[in-house]
Amino acid sequence: MEVNYIYEGLKIMLLGMGTVFMFLIVMIVMMNIMSTVVHRFFPEPNDAENTPSPIQGNNAKKIAAITAAIIHHRQVTKG
Amino acid sequence: MKSFVLKLFAVMLFSLSLHASDAHATGAHEATTEVKSTHKEETYQPQTLGEMTVGFLKSTGVYAIMSPDPDEMNAHGQPMSDFHKSWGRVLMILITFLLFYLAIAKGYEPLLLLPIAFGGLLANIPVANIAGAHGFLGVIYQAGLANEMFPIIIFMGVGAMTDFGPLLSNPKTALLGGAAQFGIFGTLVGAVALSQYTEMFDFTLQQAAAISIIGGADGPTSIFIATKLAPELLGAIAVASYSYMALVPIIQPPIMRALTTDDERKIKMVTLRHVSRLEKLVFPVMVLTLAIMVLPDSTPLIGAFMFGNFLKESGVVERLSDTLQNALINIVTIFLGLGVGSKLAADQFLVIDTLAILVLGLTAFSVGTAAGVIMAKIMNMFPGTKVNPLIGSAGVSAVPMAARVSNKVGMEYDRSNMLLMHAMGPNVAGVIGSAVAAGVMISIFG
Repeated sequence: MEVNYIYEGLKIMLLGMGTVFMFLIVMIVMMNIMSTVVHRFFPEPNDAENTPSPIQGNNAKKIAAITAAIIHHRQVTKG
Repeated sequence: MKSFVLKLFAVMLFSLSLHASDAHATGAHEATTEVKSTHKEETYQPQTLGEMTVGFLKSTGVYAIMSPDPDEMNAHGQPMSDFHKSWGRVLMILITFLLFYLAIAKGYEPLLLLPIAFGGLLANIPVANIAGAHGFLGVIYQAGLANEMFPIIIFMGVGAMTDFGPLLSNPKTALLGGAAQFGIFGTLVGAVALSQYTEMFDFTLQQAAAISIIGGADGPTSIFIATKLAPELLGAIAVASYSYMALVPIIQPPIMRALTTDDERKIKMVTLRHVSRLEKLVFPVMVLTLAIMVLPDSTPLIGAFMFGNFLKESGVVERLSDTLQNALINIVTIFLGLGVGSKLAADQFLVIDTLAILVLGLTAFSVGTAAGVIMAKIMNMFPGTKVNPLIGSAGVSAVPMAARVSNKVGMEYDRSNMLLMHAMGPNVAGVIGSAVAAGVMISIFG
């Protein structure tokens, strides 16, 4: 009896697509569980609340300094 | 230039006319040298200048193409037809020139297409036998392709370049990457149907599986599976795979437009949430664990991929991650390209199967794209946040080209609709999906 290869191919397709989807669905479920656990028990310090970082505190002073430098530079190059 | 061609022609005529009278004598001469080749210096016989010149002219490429050596064997030690020894080689060399043009002028995946094409050029040189067991291309092939080493190293590098953030922040888009693998399995059925109903093609199930993996649009995976299941088709499969990856911006948009309505293309997706570092660090180990439990046959690919990603996300081995992403992947790409090029020898590439592989590969690729888009439409039938079907096409794993195409087509309909990061989710899921599909093929045929 001759093997019907198309039938074989269809079986492989069913098995293959089934495996791929099962793998990804389990992966999605695990991803959701994992991120819930991570956010519950190991929250990142900076996404828990918006604590101002130390750099932000200095921003006003820095901007003032940069602005002064630009103005000075413009005056120097003009003159 | 013209005089050079004339000279070549004259040399050719000269050598041809001498060939007839000398064939018998040199045949006997070669036999004696072969026997006593260990004592070459003692048996060296003085030759007249004329004999030396004739001997030299017979070792020229022009002579080898004009009158193929009847005893010459291909890289596998099998006899090959006169066409494959002579004009087939010329034709292949012209084809490699075409690949040069596509890589340089059109920018089609030049990083791989250029080494492959140059390897093909070298493999088709007569006399020198560079792709043979002792030629340097043959040695490269044996060193890293016959044992599936190079594609695995490439996978590590790709892993180190991949950011799973977009997938982690919208996990359900992974389904799109799964649907796109339908291109692989649909084409498998197509390929066996083709060999069942036509006399011209006769693919075994293994060969059909190796061809259909082109639909995953994943170069290293295609090469990995082809060397495992059907090494005789490697050249054509690799060329088809990388050509179609380069053609993503041309092949995909018409399919995407045909399958979506205007409203669907304008769907705006929810902004991606922030993903913590720990999530990114856990993810590669988690997927690998899943692969170990479900499908250990896929772990060579997934393991290498996740290794690279783990190094990157760990944040403490910057140097190793940097080497994987740059130096190592570049070195291996050179060898991988040359090794694949060695399979572009005329006797292996200029067969009718190549044509079928190119057509089936294109089908696989298009079906995969369509399946991804349709899957997104199916997902929109269920309640929950809507998915723009344009990102479905990114389920084929050509990273990041397919995601860029989704973004570009989306922008055509709504300038403010940025889909790039949303499309990266299915894109990297597609890489995992095609590695799983490859694992299924290995578990069935390996």
